[in-house]
Amino acid sequence: MATTTNVHHQDSNPNTPAVAAPAKQTVPTAKTVDTQSVLKRLQSELMALMMGGDSGISAFPEEDNIFCWKGTIHGSKDTVFEGTEYKLSLSFPSDYPFKPPKVKFETACFHPNVDVYGNICLDILQDKWSSAYDVRTILLSIQSLLGEPNISSPLNTQAASLWANQEEYRKMVEKLYKPST
Amino acid sequence: MVAAWKDQFRVFRIRDRLDSAMVSDSIPNASIALASSNPKDFAKKKRANRSAKLKQCKLDARREQWLSQVKNKGGCKEEVIGGSGKDGGPIRSENERGMPMEKLEIKPRVEEEIHLSSDSEFSPSNSPTSHSINFTASSRSNSSSGRSSSSSISNGCYSGIMSDEDEGDVGDDDCLDDWEAMADALAAIEDNHQKQENSQLGVTNQESGGTAVPRSPIHCQAWRPDDEFRPQSLPNLSKQYSFKLNSERGGSVWGRRNVGPVPTSCPICFEDLDGTDSSFLPCFCGFRLCLFCHKRILEEDARCPGCRKEYECDSVEGETILDGGSLTVRLARSCSMVTRS
Repeated sequence: MATTTNVHHQDSNPNTPAVAAPAKQTVPTAKTVDTQSVLKRLQSELMALMMGGDSGISAFPEEDNIFCWKGTIHGSKDTVFEGTEYKLSLSFPSDYPFKPPKVKFETACFHPNVDVYGNICLDILQDKWSSAYDVRTILLSIQSLLGEPNISSPLNTQAASLWANQEEYRKMVEKLYKPST
Repeated sequence: MVAAWKDQFRVFRIRDRLDSAMVSDSIPNASIALASSNPKDFAKKKRANRSAKLKQCKLDARREQWLSQVKNKGGCKEEVIGGSGKDGGPIRSENERGMPMEKLEIKPRVEEEIHLSSDSEFSPSNSPTSHSINFTASSRSNSSSGRSSSSSISNGCYSGIMSDEDEGDVGDDDCLDDWEAMADALAAIEDNHQKQENSQLGVTNQESGGTAVPRSPIHCQAWRPDDEFRPQSLPNLSKQYSFKLNSERGGSVWGRRNVGPVPTSCPICFEDLDGTDSSFLPCFCGFRLCLFCHKRILEEDARCPGCRKEYECDSVEGETILDGGSLTVRLARSCSMVTRS
């Protein structure tokens, strides 16, 4: 298990390359984390996700690092995002699931609650996070966020103001949509 | 993992024995259901026992076939996970597509045979027990999740009961035990429905149980694993299938805990829950987790992952009441939980 040993070297941030890790000492706040249990949780989630057969969402770890996943969301039917597909990156902290993963859109997404860098404003990824959430619920939540944005606290004000006009919005989505290959 | 196979295998065995019961014309199937209460049926049971022995070779052949299938699947499964020790079993069984298909294949047959025994061979008036079972099955198949739900119920009950017998030994003497276990299982199905219904309606009259419609939901099978709207707090279903009934024996086996089924693994860390963990109910919302994760959460934001409410200082079990005000609140809460069961 190359992943395991790799991760053991990095307590505070499992996503940095192993080479950089020895230089940093563990931040005092970071507790002794049982990396094995995080691994187990992520493996179980991956299994559940693969067996679950949810339509419209998928996710898989990047190469050999199970702490970095790539997810895919299809725009739901009967929304302005129908027919589009968005890639996301999920990076899990070493104290996952007690802390939420960092989730970003990799594909540009014209949405009131997504900024130009792909950052997502979604409460369950911040203060409303619960360790009972998992990758599947995150992706499903983001999928439903696409069709039901929170206009009152927009990251993308242009998208928020255009939302009222769904036909125009759809055109904008199509115009800005750049599917990753 | 082995235990999961064994459970499957038990269902299989029961099905075989049901087969043999129906082959022998002289034995009314009600004897299965009533045997435990009626000593007269003991002789009939013996005869059934003999015909069951005749079926033994067929059974053994099927078992071998089945076991070899299982072994084959077990092999390829190992590779997928890359071996993380004891956690393997249930999660792995979820991993391969073959296994759930097997389950689905077996379960409906079990159910059908229950139908048969009550419908075609016996008049309902003579056998209130089997009648009510039949009723249960048919009324359940009207519900949205329909067939799969009802069949899995019968499956669950059987494997739960059968787990009390000796494992793996299919010797001749074992047949009798099987029949008794079967009788228990059938009785328990009815008993279970009765109790659930009574607790729901607040009826204590036992006589009404036989004829009334048992409509109370059994929580553990309310959601299919692939259901979109299945709450996330529910633990992994296939894991529960194979281990839940084994993990807690006795009166609570039938999922009549006050708050839904007890998961067999912690939904946070996916480690198996041991006895202490499963009796640990830190939040009134009923969200269960292992003591380690609970402690971990207490160190941080101290909110229940299931409902996001803050954990109270005392868990539900270990609560000490300091003042009268909180006493009433707590009592009211625990009462409401009891009535919900």
